Amino acid sequence: MSDVIPAIKKRKLSTSESIYLVEVLKGMAITMGHVIKNIIGELKGQSTFDTMEYPEVRKPVNDRFKGAHRLTTRPDGKYKCVACMCCSTACPAKCISIVAGEDADDPIEKYPVRFDIDMLRCIYCGFCVEACPKDAIRMDTRIYEINAFSRQDMIHTRDYMRDLMAGDKPEAEQWYRENPQHSPEGFLGEVPPVIP
Amino acid sequence: MPLVKVNGIAVEVPPGTNMIEAAKKVGVEIPHYCYHPHLSVAGNCRMCLVDVEAGGRGPDIACNMAATEGLAIRTDTPKVTQMRKSVMEFLLVNHPLDCPICDQSGECRLQDYYMEYGQHDSRLADAKMGKGKRQDIGDQIVLDAERCVQCSRCVRFSDEVTGTGELRLFNRSNQTQIGIFPGVRLSHQYQGNLADICPVGALTLKDFRFKKRVWWLKESESVCGGCATGCNTLVHHQDNEVYRFTPRRNDEVNKSWICDQGRLSYKDVTSLKRLTGAKVNGQRAELPEAANAAAMLLKGAKVGVVFGAKATTEANWAAVKLVRARLPSARAYVIEGNDPDAFTYQDEILVDSDKTPNRFGAALTASQLGSVGDAEALKAALAAGEIDALLVLQDDVIGRLGIAAPKALVYVGTFKNATATAAAVVLPAAHSIEQAGTWINRQGRVQRLRKTVAPAGDSVADYSAVDAIGRAFGGAVIPEMPAAIFQELAAGVKALNGLTLKGLGHGGQLITLSAPSAGADQPGQAAPAK
Repeated sequence: MSDVIPAIKKRKLSTSESIYLVEVLKGMAITMGHVIKNIIGELKGQSTFDTMEYPEVRKPVNDRFKGAHRLTTRPDGKYKCVACMCCSTACPAKCISIVAGEDADDPIEKYPVRFDIDMLRCIYCGFCVEACPKDAIRMDTRIYEINAFSRQDMIHTRDYMRDLMAGDKPEAEQWYRENPQHSPEGFLGEVPPVIP
Repeated sequence: MPLVKVNGIAVEVPPGTNMIEAAKKVGVEIPHYCYHPHLSVAGNCRMCLVDVEAGGRGPDIACNMAATEGLAIRTDTPKVTQMRKSVMEFLLVNHPLDCPICDQSGECRLQDYYMEYGQHDSRLADAKMGKGKRQDIGDQIVLDAERCVQCSRCVRFSDEVTGTGELRLFNRSNQTQIGIFPGVRLSHQYQGNLADICPVGALTLKDFRFKKRVWWLKESESVCGGCATGCNTLVHHQDNEVYRFTPRRNDEVNKSWICDQGRLSYKDVTSLKRLTGAKVNGQRAELPEAANAAAMLLKGAKVGVVFGAKATTEANWAAVKLVRARLPSARAYVIEGNDPDAFTYQDEILVDSDKTPNRFGAALTASQLGSVGDAEALKAALAAGEIDALLVLQDDVIGRLGIAAPKALVYVGTFKNATATAAAVVLPAAHSIEQAGTWINRQGRVQRLRKTVAPAGDSVADYSAVDAIGRAFGGAVIPEMPAAIFQELAAGVKALNGLTLKGLGHGGQLITLSAPSAGADQPGQAAPAK
């Protein structure tokens, strides 16, 4: 009851502001200032452009940058993950779902049958990496372009995350088209891309 | 009664009580592995070492220390802390620390006590002793000898409770390991309890293997419906899905045990045999619609009501109220015996020959209508045309008696069976863990059921299904809330007078029966669990 929300009073515009033209010219002056500064800089041979030519040029990310998750493997190619569920327990976004299975031939009895991360729900906090007792999940890929054309494709599956750093980085959708057996449930392989 | 002191707090306990139980009374937890209240004292884990102030010679194990006048122990001295830490270090010498793949983690005493009393760094210079992992020793149990702390609980369980004696500790000192005699497999009906009493992950359940991490599971109290014993259970569930049943301690009924059949009966909850929707003449229908059809069938007919020994006492009471209010000429029947597909095993430990959880309650409520008929009477009445409509509660009458179903057959039940197939109207009842209510076991103990997960499909509590027929007749016959129904039941049935649902508590209440008809067991005759 006592919480009175204060109304923000609208500031009255001064005469020069209410004409607008003066303010527009002020803005143009800043723009022109940069243009002149850049031209002088180019002429001197020292580039002062603040804009980056993304995606041809990319900003280097920090060593501790938390990018897309990957699953690590043992020397024999099996997953390091033993499906202990520590990551999905630690996950505050509840985006990791694991199904454990028994590997009859392996002295490490347990392995993940499914290991899905819903990247739409992930908040990139890195708790899963911290919680992992086996160094099985890492976020050291430096991949920050995590995107897809459907929600299903945004669920990164076990094998996708294993192959993430192997050779050329696969685009999620492209990878799932090539490996339909690993694609998440309800993967819409035939959907044409939205952007032509 | 001797007066003993625990950490300076005086407490009076019965003579012979061990000091772990005495300390529990004053709220002091003494850590232990090998001690179990329902097994003999072995005293080999040494975790319960305490300091003796007076009345004995100090440090000694609390589990083997009988309370005598003037005995005073302390658990809060630096010496005790050091002893516990040292014992933990010894117990963990050969432990593989494979918690990530161990099903016990989350309910493991080694984990708990390490965090509380250990917290040491390993000083072991040599490699750990490798012992057999993943040994298949029985139908229900996987043995991992490396994880064992040699507490011998399982050895004593198989010696003292089942009397089968398959397990032993073999070899000596560092190489001691738990094992099963060569050529022997666990074959008794109580294997699951080994996984329960194992304080670490050495014995784990095959059925639950890698299914779920236990810290996600919620526990709710319930009662097993597999037989007339009525073992107290805990239902472990997450997101409306049941993952396992474990026994709940009740010294008067099942101690700490449950049979494997009962333990695995959680699978029935989601089995394909469940009735999940109401049916009228084999066609799927909404519940009120089916209840209307049932009322139409029963109205004016010569009705026989078969009270269900698998239904809750509340549902049987609802049937009594329905008969009193709407079907005054109806006859009551309680049919003895088990379903044709029932598990036939029985023993002296827990499993009763009667596979119904509430025969007592059914007989008790049915007797409120005067005379109660049995199977022969029902057959005769059907043959003579004295009855032409049946209302059946959770009882496979058609399958069991092999009789032709009358045209007007209304079945309230949880599972598909011959009666459900033959019935003109089927009303789906919830499983016993999906609804509140009470059951009366073979001792005459009224035990409480609780709603732990949501009912499957369209099913409703069995008393609500009976009440739906009453509503179709024109008015509810019982109150809506389980506590109110039980209040009415307790007032209406002489043997239950004075009981309340809340008053039943966790362990249930024993009732004295005046004269149960239809041959139910007499109270107090059936011995409690061995």
